[in-house]
Amino acid sequence: MSSLDAIPVTAEVASGNVKPLLHEVRHALRRLAKGEDGTVIDLQSVPLAPGEAQRIEELLGKGEVRAELDALGPSVVQETSYPGVWLVTHSNTEQAVVGRFIEVTHMPELLKSQQADIEHGISRLEQELEN
Amino acid sequence: MRKDQSLGEYLRAQGVSRRGFLKFCSATASMMALPPSALAQVAEALENARRPSVIWLSFQECTGCTESLTRSHAPTVESLIFDAISLDYHHTLQAAAGHGAEEARMAAMEENAGEYLLVVDGSIPVDNPAYSTIAGISNLDMLKETAANAFAIVAVGTCAAFGGLPHADPNPTGAVSVSDIITDKPIINVSGCPPIPVVITGVLAHFLTFGSIPELDALGRPVAFFGQNIHDRCYRRPFYERGQYAETFDDEGARKGWCLYKLGCKGPTTYNACATLKWNAGTSFPIQSGHGCIGCSEPDFWDKGGFYNPISAGNWGSRDALLGAAAAGAALGVGSALAARARKKKAQAAEGA
Amino acid sequence: MTLLDFASGPGLQWALWIFMFGVVWRLVGALFLLSRKDLTKPREHNSVAAGLGAVISRSAPAHAFEKRILFQHVTGYVWHFALFISVLFFAPHILFFESVLGFSWPHLPNTIILVTAIVATAVLIALLIRRATHPVQRFISNADDYISIFVVLIPLVTGILAFTHFGGRYETLLGIHVLSVDVMLIWFPFGKLMHAIMTMPARYQAGTAFGRRGVKA
Repeated sequence: MSSLDAIPVTAEVASGNVKPLLHEVRHALRRLAKGEDGTVIDLQSVPLAPGEAQRIEELLGKGEVRAELDALGPSVVQETSYPGVWLVTHSNTEQAVVGRFIEVTHMPELLKSQQADIEHGISRLEQELEN
Repeated sequence: MRKDQSLGEYLRAQGVSRRGFLKFCSATASMMALPPSALAQVAEALENARRPSVIWLSFQECTGCTESLTRSHAPTVESLIFDAISLDYHHTLQAAAGHGAEEARMAAMEENAGEYLLVVDGSIPVDNPAYSTIAGISNLDMLKETAANAFAIVAVGTCAAFGGLPHADPNPTGAVSVSDIITDKPIINVSGCPPIPVVITGVLAHFLTFGSIPELDALGRPVAFFGQNIHDRCYRRPFYERGQYAETFDDEGARKGWCLYKLGCKGPTTYNACATLKWNAGTSFPIQSGHGCIGCSEPDFWDKGGFYNPISAGNWGSRDALLGAAAAGAALGVGSALAARARKKKAQAAEGA
Repeated sequence: MTLLDFASGPGLQWALWIFMFGVVWRLVGALFLLSRKDLTKPREHNSVAAGLGAVISRSAPAHAFEKRILFQHVTGYVWHFALFISVLFFAPHILFFESVLGFSWPHLPNTIILVTAIVATAVLIALLIRRATHPVQRFISNADDYISIFVVLIPLVTGILAFTHFGGRYETLLGIHVLSVDVMLIWFPFGKLMHAIMTMPARYQAGTAFGRRGVKA
């Protein structure tokens, strides 16, 4: 692998989609601040040149909250340096990325405990207490 | 998974939490190129989805399409979708063989008449059906028989969708596509050599979620994945516009990642999702790796003049033939000029000039 | 076989054969029609210089007509330059020429080509309208003129449409463009488009003929 890494390949020009994407985030944040619904942007639907996905992550930066999920493989929910803008990365059990989203919201849905899981947990706790 | 279980019940029984299920739906919606706002609808549909029966027939193929689909060793979203369907017949993947396997196919066809999905990879030889047989049954007969009571047919790979490699000039086996033989069932062409795995499972996921056929283009391919050509989504497009091309495979332009048009890239005339979805879980695609698109999701891509022949150079034959035409023109030119001069001489002689 | 496959395959093959055959036939035929050797004593001996001189000098209008035909003169040059740049310096076109000729040359960026192509198209349409409405032009124009203009105009328009992906699926637009070029190639040897090949030799011939008599052509 190391000899392959030695081949110098650099793409000079980007896809031109990084800035428009960030503008979209800006508009979504405005809407959220006004009290409207949150927005989810699917990063995999946007054509990005090699390295641009990382660049977007760098530009958004890291905020105060980082949550790691373990459901059908690891997922990371990272609040960026812009409050309200969360980066959600879903991976499968093989560590391959299966989903990449920017969520503009107060709290990503996935972090909340789900009703069905709560009910399942109640019956488990009740069973535990009976024993 | 039990036949009467819904997908939601199945996943819960596997220990998948609601949160995990939502993550699964989110990734599935993304795979089907649906907007994130469709998540609620997808979640509800998948929660209640019943397990469809799928019969997979492999004809004149290289097994690349099945390989493309099954490249995972641990549960992934793709494999979960695969688990969710009831794959009642598949040569490469099934444990059964011989008569037992054929009986399983007939039983599945009977039990699920009118509701099962038929997946086909590989082309069908019609010149002499004996060129490709399974259990003594020709591909042609098996396709007609199995398609009769199918809900819909998914032709996976360029071979099944358009004839593919066996169909290439001179087509010695008389290979044809599924749609050349079956004309009374809805056919979804998932072309590509092989198709991107996510595209195959995306079509299955759509069927699982909505129980219907996705929107198709003029060649019967799902618009969600084949609606854009590679050129329009290629990250090297700015180089094309600026006229910065790689001239050979290892020159400075190639190392800088410039456009591969001059090296035969068929991106402008090829429709597929390679430039956005990419291959190997979004790692790369041929152009990103430095090789022009070969147009593998288009019909007759083997016979378009060569993978390294630029689109604009055309496929017009040899220069020798052109020189032959010039020679013929010269001969006619000399001949007609001499004839004209002879007439002139004759006329002058007649006048006594 | 798709439209593009046909247009850039058998269509282009036949078009190139007919073009090659026709152009060589007419050129060789014209050359071989030349008169017998002139046995009179020439006033000037260096007829080659006179011939080449005429090729260059006739690129400008005759002094007496200059002011009157200034419009045609300038627009003619503008149009031809715009056409040549669009056809000869667009990278995909150069790849086609390379497949025929065996050699290539440097190309210009696409944005420049788009500008020159639009200029060429606009000027050609303007000149076409002028030809059809101006009383003198109308009187002296025949079918050959109009056909020759159209077989060049259609490739220009369809080329711009294909390049800008406007008006349909790209491979269809490209197929129509290549087909229109096939039509132009087939028409070329049989109409006034032959001026592209004949003009320089014709000027040279007039130059040498006049030069023998000591007259500037």
